[in-house]
Amino acid sequence: MGVDWNSFFEGFMTALSFQNLLFIFLGGLLGTIVGMLPGLGPATAVAVLIPITFGMDSTSALILLGAIYYGAMYGGSRSSILLNTPGDGSAIAATFDGYPMTRKGQAGQALTLATLASLIGGTVAIAGFVFLANPLASFALQFGPAEYFFLLIFTLSAVVSLSKGNMIKGFVSMLLGLIVTTIGVDSQSGVYRFTFGNPHLSEGIDFLVVIIGVYAVGEVLYNILVIKDENQQMKEDVGNSWITKEQWSRSFWPMIRQAPIGFLVGILPGAGGSIASMISYTTEQQVSKKGEEFGKGAPEGLASPESSNNAASVGAFIPLLTMGIPGSGTTAVILGALIMLGLQPGPMLFQNQPEVAWTFINSLFIGNIVLVIINILLIGLLVRILKTPPQILYPIILVLAFIGTYTLGYSIIDFFILMIFGVIGLLMKILNIPVAPLILAVIIGNMMEQNFRMAFVSHDGFLQMLTASPISILFAVLTVASVFLPALFSRLSKGRTES
Amino acid sequence: MSIRYIIPSVTLLISVIYLILTFNLPESNVGNPTAAMNYPLLIGFALLGMSIIYLFSEFKNRKEPFKAFEVFKDKQLTTHVIVVLLLSLAYTFLFERIGFLFSTLLFLTGLLFLINGRRKWLTNIIVAVLFSVLSWYAFSELLSVSLP
Repeated sequence: MGVDWNSFFEGFMTALSFQNLLFIFLGGLLGTIVGMLPGLGPATAVAVLIPITFGMDSTSALILLGAIYYGAMYGGSRSSILLNTPGDGSAIAATFDGYPMTRKGQAGQALTLATLASLIGGTVAIAGFVFLANPLASFALQFGPAEYFFLLIFTLSAVVSLSKGNMIKGFVSMLLGLIVTTIGVDSQSGVYRFTFGNPHLSEGIDFLVVIIGVYAVGEVLYNILVIKDENQQMKEDVGNSWITKEQWSRSFWPMIRQAPIGFLVGILPGAGGSIASMISYTTEQQVSKKGEEFGKGAPEGLASPESSNNAASVGAFIPLLTMGIPGSGTTAVILGALIMLGLQPGPMLFQNQPEVAWTFINSLFIGNIVLVIINILLIGLLVRILKTPPQILYPIILVLAFIGTYTLGYSIIDFFILMIFGVIGLLMKILNIPVAPLILAVIIGNMMEQNFRMAFVSHDGFLQMLTASPISILFAVLTVASVFLPALFSRLSKGRTES
Repeated sequence: MSIRYIIPSVTLLISVIYLILTFNLPESNVGNPTAAMNYPLLIGFALLGMSIIYLFSEFKNRKEPFKAFEVFKDKQLTTHVIVVLLLSLAYTFLFERIGFLFSTLLFLTGLLFLINGRRKWLTNIIVAVLFSVLSWYAFSELLSVSLP
């Protein structure tokens, strides 16, 4: 199946409607503001801003969430460049050369360069998306419950093995998430599981409450714990925003060549923007003729990871939209929001509601351009917002987390659940236990159990389930490889350094 | 017992309690009577195994310094976190009793005075009043969310 151009153009026109443009602008701006806060990334931005999509039609809500996600990615690099404090992991690489540029008095140029790099990375990735989406969705149509079960297992194991912290902690985090999903009435047998007679728990724990708790409340509590009462050494005037010819010519090809790398890394489950931007930074440093200038404010040292990072964020939507599989904590949050909106991403989305899928993909492209406008024209406003003390913004985010939670189920029992997961999120952060496996497990746990049980019954046993099709075997092999290969590689590299 | 064993011990305890609860789940009247039990059993045993490995890995690293909880050394900031949780608890109890607007106003004022400091009282009050009123208006009027 090739590109469905009719749906593509229809989607483009829908995304260009005045209302949707307004949502792209609003989402981009709000996402940028939350993403700029140190420690808060796209996952928190989406989680805490989900309630503002209430009452919207699903396409507009999806566009708004996509814009928030994208805006937060941009916002993350703003604080990296101006304050040397990345919003989240994927913005770390932007500090390497972005902050040195700021110290050299080139803050405005660094911001423009990062914005243009994001635009180029995002655009290249969207082109890749357009050509890959339909073939992948058709491939996913062949999946039965057994194939889906092994794909989900692979996704979880990949996220565990690639997430920060060690693998054992990652598995513990994942299993705790899976336990949460078993609470409530079992949909197949009607048995009440772990509800302790509480009627509210019979519907299970809302995964969005867990997400808001762990990401928003947990992060805010952590930041309160480590808050520093220092005046941020930032000038309101960022200087000239026009980049020089030399900066442009040094950055152009690195932006172009790192975008496909970022895109491909983004498609892989577990990898995402942090790994993509690091790979791009180091490869660009190796191939650059001015590699020794990296880390001292080299424009290509900022442009290449920014381009790659944004391309990865588009790539991450491919498994999410075509197969319904999120490859990271952030895309898991978006999957959660989509399910709440009544949309079920996966191959059927491209068959039954192609206009929704294509409108969203086009909105990402338009969002990129809108974000360039926001980030270049409104830079003065953004810098002023960045100067707002986090001591004021963190309480506001905490209150928003509570309001959002209430609007999900109109029950204050969810407030207790929110606080419990907030404390769990805080402890996980302190103990360096990766959060992404827990979030992913909470969202796909139910799907995994249902597919497991259906496959188990229809194939009459686990071994038959495994050998049912080459796709199942492939995912099972990939799962084993994702668990053992990283350990093997680290042993090998250790052995090499010792010898 | 060293502080480093606390978390793996807690996850071990969770897995044991979870397994006991799973074994005590009622049997299903439809189809396979233990169908609702099998998947939780798998997870429970996996967590049990992982917690034991986690304990051993902490034991193996016992000579390395365990610095994770040093973040709680700053007593003032640790107290802030505890007070934030207490204020959240108070907000939970007041939310439906005195309504969204007033409980949010009190909660946010409390948080701002705690985190932003008493010296900036005017900013705190202005932010709390503006945010509470605007969020009430946005959610209940613009987004038609029913708030207490």
